[in-house]
Amino acid sequence: MNEQLRRAPAPDLLPRFAAIVGEKYAVTDAATLAPYLIEGRDLYHGRTSMLLRPGSVAEVTAILKLANETKTPLVPQGGNTGLVGGQIPLDGELLLSLTRLDKIREVDPSSNTMTCEAGVVLQNAQDAAAAADRLFPLSLGAEGSCTIGGNLSTNAGGTGALAYGIARDLVLGLEVVLADGRVLNLLSKLKKDNTGYDLRHIFVGAEGTLGVITAAVLKIFPRPRAVETAFIGVPSPQAALKLLNLAQEQAGGTVTSFELIVRDMIDFAVRHGHGVRDPLGEKHPWYVMLEVSSQQEEGLRDSVEDLLAAAVEQGLVSDATIAANIEQTRAFWHLRHVLPEVQKPEGGSIKHDVSVPVAAVPDFIAEASAAAQNLIPGCRPVPFGHLGDGNIHFNVSQPVGADTTQFLARWNEVNAAVDKIVLKHHGSFSAEHGIGKLKRETLAKVKDPVALDLMRGLKRMLDPNGILNPGKVL
Amino acid sequence: MSSVMNVQSKPTLTPALLARFTDIVGPKYAITDPQMQQSYLIELRGLYPGHTPVVLRPGSTDEVAAILKLANETKTAIVPQGGNTGLVGGQTPINGEVLLSLTRLDKIREVDPVSYTMTVEAGVTLQRAREAAAQADRLYPQLLGSEGTCTIGGNLSTNAGGIAALAHGVARSHALGLEVVLADGRVLHNLNKLKKDNTGYDLKNLFIGAEGTLGVITAATLRLVPRPRSVETAFAAVPSPQAALDLLGLAEERTAGGVTSFELLARFGVAAVIDYDAKSRDPLREPHDWYALFDLSSQARTGLRDVMEEILSEGHDKGLVIDATIAESLEQAKAFWRIREMFSEVQRHIGAAVKHDVSVPVAAIPTFIEETNAVVKKLIPDARLMAFGHVGDGNVHYNVIHPVGADTKKFLARWDEISAAVFGVVKKFGGSISAEHGIGLMKRHILPKYKDPVALDLMRDLKRLLDPNGILNPGKVL
Repeated sequence: MNEQLRRAPAPDLLPRFAAIVGEKYAVTDAATLAPYLIEGRDLYHGRTSMLLRPGSVAEVTAILKLANETKTPLVPQGGNTGLVGGQIPLDGELLLSLTRLDKIREVDPSSNTMTCEAGVVLQNAQDAAAAADRLFPLSLGAEGSCTIGGNLSTNAGGTGALAYGIARDLVLGLEVVLADGRVLNLLSKLKKDNTGYDLRHIFVGAEGTLGVITAAVLKIFPRPRAVETAFIGVPSPQAALKLLNLAQEQAGGTVTSFELIVRDMIDFAVRHGHGVRDPLGEKHPWYVMLEVSSQQEEGLRDSVEDLLAAAVEQGLVSDATIAANIEQTRAFWHLRHVLPEVQKPEGGSIKHDVSVPVAAVPDFIAEASAAAQNLIPGCRPVPFGHLGDGNIHFNVSQPVGADTTQFLARWNEVNAAVDKIVLKHHGSFSAEHGIGKLKRETLAKVKDPVALDLMRGLKRMLDPNGILNPGKVL
Repeated sequence: MSSVMNVQSKPTLTPALLARFTDIVGPKYAITDPQMQQSYLIELRGLYPGHTPVVLRPGSTDEVAAILKLANETKTAIVPQGGNTGLVGGQTPINGEVLLSLTRLDKIREVDPVSYTMTVEAGVTLQRAREAAAQADRLYPQLLGSEGTCTIGGNLSTNAGGIAALAHGVARSHALGLEVVLADGRVLHNLNKLKKDNTGYDLKNLFIGAEGTLGVITAATLRLVPRPRSVETAFAAVPSPQAALDLLGLAEERTAGGVTSFELLARFGVAAVIDYDAKSRDPLREPHDWYALFDLSSQARTGLRDVMEEILSEGHDKGLVIDATIAESLEQAKAFWRIREMFSEVQRHIGAAVKHDVSVPVAAIPTFIEETNAVVKKLIPDARLMAFGHVGDGNVHYNVIHPVGADTKKFLARWDEISAAVFGVVKKFGGSISAEHGIGLMKRHILPKYKDPVALDLMRDLKRLLDPNGILNPGKVL
């Protein structure tokens, strides 16, 4: 092992860890390790002394107990789809992959709950709910590989959050292995339980720094009987916001998604996305993807048409098309889901995952775009995201033909300018992706000092030896 | 038990210290006259008579901060209080603690209908909060019998439930941001309107449901929802709790989030209300053992009545509904709900009741009721059993009323025995011994028996972390 790995355990400890999971699941071979150490954005290249793949909660417990006794740092990991480096061992820490804990322990449609282990892939959880005629509404671009444990540890958002809430809102119960190996069993299916302090929410969104989530009881919902999806051209974010309010008041169903997309992103998607076509004939400065769901099999399409007609009359909508069939619906969603990847072929992209109060989104977009262009004339701000949640992925693509390295060198400068506007609107500089490694320094700078103090207090209380994902979040 | 929590509260304050506290709020808002203290010291059930050297009524967050700072420095125990409607004694100074009433913090700081949020101070009554939302054409979905008196701060500190939790969740799900004064007087500014904020650990949920033992909530940003455009209310006789549950499943299937309330009522309670309350009449011609009272809400202006009729007729075809009536007017809907709302009052009238506010997984409710009836009948064969509540949340108010003609004192002396039997069944089903009312004073001594020991350990650690001097509501919860 490389001696520069500050957080690698003494070599004689490795066999003791390996013995817990068995040789087969204690990996040190570089080729096998590679996919666990590289993440989607290529920002972080991980280095680990050993990958451990426990197959049971008891094995996780044994690993943490030994790690705590020997003060061996470790990094928990789910599907390795995180966007802020939280899941990557940077300094030789042990890597604790939860993917083998992949049992769906129970689906209980009468109680509308489902109990999944941490390593269950989100899509498998969705499928298991659907098999019981239920909906598990968490929906993310990475759903084919991200895991329930990772979703909860990062408090993931996604496109279903508007109606059903973020990951935190979908959790009824948790099983957590604490830093010292004790198991906290909060696996309850109860919707109401006021017996003492809420402990679940300490671990949800803590990015593996306070404990390791091994299983969860999740809420599931009746499956909608009718869903209508519309692709809508709108004159401005302000008009989109008014459309959102109109839809929530009178769409005749539940507004389950409301995504705002700037025109440039549609161009990127058409240019680089596999099989993407522009859904509308004319070009519009902004677009909204609207999804309305209902339990009534009939009538939803009429009310969505009425809604759009009313919106046209009020000047909120320039043009719109409602998906005529399932293929068209899939095509709309395909377009939405390729947005993260079609930015790469356009060169460097400086990213922000921010939220502001919903009412402030139009002002935020205008001000942040101006600030970015002021710093880097010719740069292309391409905001898109979950308008209904006030959550905008405010990404800035490099000017056409500019030098990518030089552009990316200004990442922090652009971040600082955008974050300043976010804070002015009382927003969050990390709406859904978390802090991880990427935003750790920003957190220390902008978070309420009393809140930071409490966070540090919690960290000390739950992980006194600092073995859990050190150097992340705090 | 919880040694760390057993801080010796001082029965009286020295005159000098009393003067320092008085200086913070001004003499008008430092109440020492026992007569004027009365309404703060007696709670609804008359179970916990409190006493206090002074009721402090701060008028701002700064004053709350100054009070806590002084209390922490001088190790003076404090009991925070909202509208004094708690049912487990959490709001009562039982050992002569200083009482901190939050009712003067009663400003609605902002209503933002576009962002669907509202920022209110802790002392705003639930009813005022709901009215302010309604004025902006929005709904604040918390709904409790005591809404005219209870406060937002109290609702959040006890994580209140109520009859609208089925569709919109408990108090915890309504809070987006909080302002909290910590034990040492520092203010945690977390009043954001954000639906998504992943910048570090979730702190607000530490204080929600902590019953004032970890900090004092002084303001909150609450989530609003669209105001429904139509509501239909049905009163349906059902053959059994299982049928009620199946009917709920059918209704949810047809409406998704549209079933906004769903209450199970036993004949015993309905009959008692009709008997006692001159304004209440039996909504159905014949008596039935069990009833479901439920609301559907929709954003569509028309069509909901048809949906309700379909649900009831399909329910009838499947043997889930024996007879039913849909409210023809708002007045009639109110009359149906009045029957439910009179349940607490009528029980006080009937006599002594040993009450339980428990929850089990929704699917387990019918078996839970059956088994609990059996164990209670074994203890007290003639006891009158009254199970009712928010079945959609798995939350049953399971009350045992003394047998006709029995000595109520002797009956009440068996409270712990009866409760232990009920809680035994709750535990078997993986349920909760306090679904919505909290722990307070009432259930503190039994909490360790039913709570995961690791969870209890963490709770004690949290208490130590946030209130090292043990000044906040000592002897409650832990």
